[in-house]
Amino acid sequence: MNIFLLFVLDILAVMIIIYLYRVIRGPTLYDRVLGLNGISTKAIIILIVIGTVYDRVEMFVDISTGYALLNLVGVLAITKYLEQREAPS
Amino acid sequence: MTALSIALIVVGLFFLAVAALGMVRLPDVYTRSHAVALTDSLGAFFLLAGLALNQGFSTNLVRILVVLALLYLLNPVISHATVRAALRAGVKPWGEDRR
Amino acid sequence: MNRRFDRYLVYKALTLFVIWLLLTASYTPAHMALGFVASFGVALLNTDAGRPPGVAIRWLQLLQFLPWLFGRILISGLHLSFLILHPKLPIAPALIRYRTKLSHEPGIVLLGSSITLTPGTVTAEAQSDELIVHAIDGESLDDLQSQRLESKVADVFRIRKSAE
Repeated sequence: MNIFLLFVLDILAVMIIIYLYRVIRGPTLYDRVLGLNGISTKAIIILIVIGTVYDRVEMFVDISTGYALLNLVGVLAITKYLEQREAPS
Repeated sequence: MTALSIALIVVGLFFLAVAALGMVRLPDVYTRSHAVALTDSLGAFFLLAGLALNQGFSTNLVRILVVLALLYLLNPVISHATVRAALRAGVKPWGEDRR
Repeated sequence: MNRRFDRYLVYKALTLFVIWLLLTASYTPAHMALGFVASFGVALLNTDAGRPPGVAIRWLQLLQFLPWLFGRILISGLHLSFLILHPKLPIAPALIRYRTKLSHEPGIVLLGSSITLTPGTVTAEAQSDELIVHAIDGESLDDLQSQRLESKVADVFRIRKSAE
């Protein structure tokens, strides 16, 4: 099982690189925000897979919960800022 | 039990790979947000369900399900906020000029 | 008024405490007491947020709604995967306006979240009773335009008689 999970980790890392292409390349700012959101979802999954590999799920679940909440706050702050900037003041 | 959880993880990886492919192939922000929704709702569900099943019936299973419920609650808010900001900034949807 | 206020405070604190119990790793009395104090403190700090919204949730209907929604997510996810894997990429994106008959905020929130969670449709703007929905394909819009989703969402809530 552990060997299989290590393969899963590799595949997820490759997917993060694909998302990173969209973050770097993305024509608009919103593409980049969307790509970052996808990367952090992957990071949450990767954290739980690592927890399963090391048999310490209870610790890694806390970290991934914090990561999910941080992602929410970050994306909301960025999009609010962009909306405010576009509005005529 | 192990075989079933491996099967669920493989299904989840399939959806994640399709979403990553869509992230590259699809033409604009709005359609790409559909690919991200595919990642969040189906890929994460099957992968985390497989991992939770691998834990057996313990408190760890409930913890992984809490993370899954959190993802289902938070991710619609995130993609709605991104798409709304793009729409308000006037990003043109792809294919709007053909109709 | 005061009694209802207190009841919501207790509900909120108990929900937070259950989440604490699910996430904590050790069940010693000291940790449990710390979690109890923390959840009541957070609930007290947030007394203004989350006022009683004037509608009640029918839990039985909600338990029926969630598996149905997951089935729809699975079907439209498979459809979207087919669209992405197709070599010619046969997508036909469209922005549509959708006018909803739901009059209360929790219903609109649940409707918008369900639309966004379903692959293929995403809520782009939610004014008071008008949603702007972006869809990748005409087929993804089926549930919305036949008003099946909206009637299911309306079933989940019951409008409370004496809303304060």
